[in-house]
Amino acid sequence: MIWLGEVLVSRGEGGVYNERMLGGARVWEPYRSKLAALYHVGKGIELETSMRVLYLGAANGTTVSHVADYAEVVYAVEFAPRPMQDLIEVARRRKNIIPIMADATRPDLYAPLVEAVDLVYQDVAQPDQAVIAIRNCVFLKPGGSLILMLKTRSVDVRKDPREVFDDTITALKEAGFIVQESVWLVPYHQDHAAIVCTKPVM
Amino acid sequence: MDLSRFPAYKHKLIYDFILAPPKYPLMQSYWFGDVGDGRCLPFAGDANAIINRIHSISTQMEIFIPLDWNLAVDCGICSGRVDYLARLQTVSIAAAERSVREHYAGKDAELLQMVRTLDEMDTVINLLSERAADWYMVRHPAFSRKYRRTPAHLLVKTMREKSHGALGRVAGEIEQLGETRTALAKEVSARANDVLPNTSALIGGLVAARLMANAGGFLPLSRLPASAIQVLGAKTALFAHLKTHTPSPKHGIIFQHRRVHNAPRDIRGRVARVLAGKLAIAARLDYFRGVAVPEFLQLSQDRIDTICKGDQK
Repeated sequence: MIWLGEVLVSRGEGGVYNERMLGGARVWEPYRSKLAALYHVGKGIELETSMRVLYLGAANGTTVSHVADYAEVVYAVEFAPRPMQDLIEVARRRKNIIPIMADATRPDLYAPLVEAVDLVYQDVAQPDQAVIAIRNCVFLKPGGSLILMLKTRSVDVRKDPREVFDDTITALKEAGFIVQESVWLVPYHQDHAAIVCTKPVM
Repeated sequence: MDLSRFPAYKHKLIYDFILAPPKYPLMQSYWFGDVGDGRCLPFAGDANAIINRIHSISTQMEIFIPLDWNLAVDCGICSGRVDYLARLQTVSIAAAERSVREHYAGKDAELLQMVRTLDEMDTVINLLSERAADWYMVRHPAFSRKYRRTPAHLLVKTMREKSHGALGRVAGEIEQLGETRTALAKEVSARANDVLPNTSALIGGLVAARLMANAGGFLPLSRLPASAIQVLGAKTALFAHLKTHTPSPKHGIIFQHRRVHNAPRDIRGRVARVLAGKLAIAARLDYFRGVAVPEFLQLSQDRIDTICKGDQK
């Protein structure tokens, strides 16, 4: 990851969402992006220029644009039409964003488009986030990584976030993932946790 | 968390599959063609045809092999990695644009925005009126709204006529907003009569449109059970009830219908329940038939009338 002092940046064409520029690079704000927050509070997964990424819950393409600055290609899945309009605009300006308007719970509907990837990044406001991650990991190469941004409030508002967190980790382990890191994104985001796993080679 | 459909062994199956591809011929369908058994059938067609193809492919995830872009080169679709991504992006952008267009082409997409704009205009008009009235009172220390029957819009008119400078102009803007709001409400009502003929006949176009907006759209509304329609728009009260066992809400948005709010307190819940029951049927009729069903409407009105008289359960 590229750090200018304490500031996380990505190198690419600026002006996507009026982001601040620093030394010609785009500032990647941890308060705005959960992935940026993960790099501030934890280790995360080092994004490399050769990486192919499946991004679930792409929203307006804000974080997607930063990931695309680092990675080779980003398959960006988003279900809602309103943010999709923005995401398409971002994709048009970059050669390596493939926008897909589809439901992340139904990978069978976009399977013909997505190649095997090195990283699955998931940030969806759904109750069954672990199931979605597991279902989408057919696209993940053995040895590849999963970063799951757990929105505990979307799973169950009445449940204790820590309980949701533990349940999700258990579910991922049962599905065969090796959990590398799990951190809360405080102080940047409340009730959000990041779980970083790898898919075993065999 | 329901993981029963995705037990770990299924994923192990997938790993095994990648490491040791099956001996039997197995076609995999990708956006650029069908691949398998050492053969590739490239798909010829423009972006539109490819999109139709993607929508028509049904992938079985249990035997799915993620695509390898080199196959597209072997297939003769593209010359290299850059070309592959460029082609894929053209198709994917076109597909996404088409999905967005189709989503907005639904009859409810614009109505939804109209209802939300209407409700927000109400909020803004109320806020501004309150603020302007406070301002006006500062200028007229002897003024009070107590014991006056002046409707809000007449008060705004007075403020406009009697105030100089910015206050007068603000009051003028509020009046303008009020007129726009009235015009918008008429449009909402007319459109709801068209989109939701049965629901609108039972409860009025404006309230029908609000129900639809609160449910999140035409299809979601038609899928709601009567019990949910009854308390649509009473979220706070409903969750307070579920959490702390306060009495459950009797009605949400449907309270705005005269039959509900004019009903005597002791039968109001019953009226709301019966009306919601009929609305649930009406919403389904609207979605699946799209035209008013006079027999149903007549029977429903009669039933609600009977309940309103309060002599039947």
